[in-house]
Amino acid sequence: MAEDWGSTSFLEEQFRRYYRAGVAKVDPPLEMERREFGFLPFDGGVMIRHTSFSDPSQLHAFIMEKAPAHIYYSSAYYREPRADMESKGWIGADMVFDIDADHMETPCRMNHDAWRCNLCGAEGMGRAPERCPKCGGTTLEEETWVCDICLDKAKGEAQKLLDILIQDFGIPLEYLKVNFTGNRGYHIHITAPWIRGLDQRARREIVDYVTGSGMRIELLGFRPGVKGSSPLHGLGWRGRASKALYDYLAKPPPRLLEEVRRGRGKKMRSITDSRDEILKVLGEGPPSGILKYLGRESLNRLMEEAVREQAAAVDTVVTMDIHRLIRLPNTLNGKTGLIAQPVSVEGLEDYDPLSSSIAFKGGEVPIYVRRAPMFRLGGEKYGPFKEEPASLPLAAAIFLLCRKAARIGR
Amino acid sequence: MISEREASKYPFLKEAASLLEHLEIDIENLTDQRYRPILDRGEERVIQAIRYGVVGGGLKDDLAEFLSFPIAVMLVSMTRDPFLERRYALAEAVRARRLLESEDEGRIAEIARGEFRWRIKVQRREIEDTIYSFELHFVDYLRNSSSFREDKWRLINRILTEGYVLLTKAEAVRLLQVEVEELIRRLSSRRVESNMPEQIMERLGRIKRTLDESRSSIGDSALPSEVIHGAFPPCITHSYRTLTAGGRLSHIERFTLSSFLLNIGMEPERIVQLFVSASDFDEGLTRYQIEHISGLRGSRTRYTPPNCMTMRTHGICHNPDSLCGKVKHPLSYYRRRASELRMSPKARKDR
Repeated sequence: MAEDWGSTSFLEEQFRRYYRAGVAKVDPPLEMERREFGFLPFDGGVMIRHTSFSDPSQLHAFIMEKAPAHIYYSSAYYREPRADMESKGWIGADMVFDIDADHMETPCRMNHDAWRCNLCGAEGMGRAPERCPKCGGTTLEEETWVCDICLDKAKGEAQKLLDILIQDFGIPLEYLKVNFTGNRGYHIHITAPWIRGLDQRARREIVDYVTGSGMRIELLGFRPGVKGSSPLHGLGWRGRASKALYDYLAKPPPRLLEEVRRGRGKKMRSITDSRDEILKVLGEGPPSGILKYLGRESLNRLMEEAVREQAAAVDTVVTMDIHRLIRLPNTLNGKTGLIAQPVSVEGLEDYDPLSSSIAFKGGEVPIYVRRAPMFRLGGEKYGPFKEEPASLPLAAAIFLLCRKAARIGR
Repeated sequence: MISEREASKYPFLKEAASLLEHLEIDIENLTDQRYRPILDRGEERVIQAIRYGVVGGGLKDDLAEFLSFPIAVMLVSMTRDPFLERRYALAEAVRARRLLESEDEGRIAEIARGEFRWRIKVQRREIEDTIYSFELHFVDYLRNSSSFREDKWRLINRILTEGYVLLTKAEAVRLLQVEVEELIRRLSSRRVESNMPEQIMERLGRIKRTLDESRSSIGDSALPSEVIHGAFPPCITHSYRTLTAGGRLSHIERFTLSSFLLNIGMEPERIVQLFVSASDFDEGLTRYQIEHISGLRGSRTRYTPPNCMTMRTHGICHNPDSLCGKVKHPLSYYRRRASELRMSPKARKDR
């Protein structure tokens, strides 16, 4: 028998115990009877889909019985949530922004992420390359881990997104729900009724807005002859983009300086040369004054770079999807054993996901770990481990089992 | 109650419709000699839409002018021609936009709220060199601007604050045109009884003739509304047949075929099904690629197929015929062949 990395029957039992004690905490989504639910069991079988529940007690009973590894519900509202996709009768959908450290460049990935080529078995640290450097194979397995740096970055993106949704889109706090996913990111739900009917094209426009894509500086007031005061106080992206540019030039990142050194055109050099003048124009206006120092195209390019700092990095495909299944808040994430946990908008700043979302409290469990980087849970750090037995508190043991990095026993 | 003057300007308003009910006009009475100018004007509205793409002029008598609108809508819906429905709706919408441009902000907002339930505020703001007159809720904004391709309509390039997009008067009216067009398209696609008095049927005949005569010239700028397989250029027919016969297409052939089908108005979903059912293409990946080409994803550019020269370079120009010698692009071939087919009723059956 192949080795049982993850000890799934042990995990399923633990999850069941957790839900028996605390299933009441699982809040059903708004208008639950119109949602589709999906469950991924521990046994590696297919997702149980096209289910629906008319009241919380039904849902709770189902969860206690099946003790699934992952629990999802549709962001969409359907007339017939149990029907197959074609005949469900889509009514509308919440908008759910997916912020996931998997899509971010964080320096720590070199320390905790790893890849392996399925073809030749070559291995390496960090993000998986497009092709295996050894054999050119394209099927690479990637192993990613949560860490404080990644989660802080994701939190920062969530906060930028919330700022834009509140200030620019005027979404009232009561319609904004923030959830830690229980793994590497956050979901931000807009449940406002007026959002529900938006089609994919409209959602695309919103995603482009929050990610700062497709911005034309001449449409933000940076065009010849425009009078006015400092663009830093402009509404919406005008102010935000101008502030981004200001910060960017005030302390240019090494990459920009490097490009200038490598002589990417005269224009790039003139940017650093006339930096003080540009900063002055940004501070005093008019916005058109900046064109004295920068051509339209180089300003556009520079702005694009700068705006990336102010824009929120959300996963475009997931966010635009109007049929997506989303993790149900206050359920366990089968990839970590942590709780996918709601966080208040005000509380996000001080939220520590790796402490607050711990579900399992309990004594030492003997396990055998095949490989794990150092990780933190609560106040404790564990690892790194490589092919060794360890005795860990229940939460840490479950975390490693869920990662399929360990098994029960010595 | 709405004035007859207002009803003649904006005959599509709900208030105008209730005026019509109030008048209790019976279809039977339409043949009455007194109503003849109304029928004439109704017919004229449609003919103007076909010929010029905009409805102009009008009767001096406001009530008669107003009554000619439902007549025109009825005539359009009797043709059961989706192309005319769209063309007529656009022509009436352009007319309405021109009239709205000379209204004051209050009236524009009143129509937008009352008729289309827009969340719109009249709020004058001067920012840099632009005078904004309105604030429109972003949901209403997106619903009506999503078909526009210019950068200036993209949400990212608008001033958006506390849920509202700032609009100039011209922009607000341009967005209203989209609503009016949609409303009139709905009205004229309603099915009506085709059993009508002679005076109406005569007019219907004239409209159909004008439409057929004008199709080729209008068709030069607009593609036919339905997919006409018989008008495919030989290169596309070749790829299409290869695909449906389960054969393999090169990457560039797949791109050419899907961008061609998208551009002649085939639904992305149908194209996905075509690829998936005819071969072992992965559905998710195919959908992703088709949506990309259609501009729903990625750079948002809607791709067109390569021109004939590029196709020759790639060796995918197959069996060129005489019409191929006169065009440089597969889409031009399609437009011309489609309008030829429309002109001869016999050929239409071969589709």
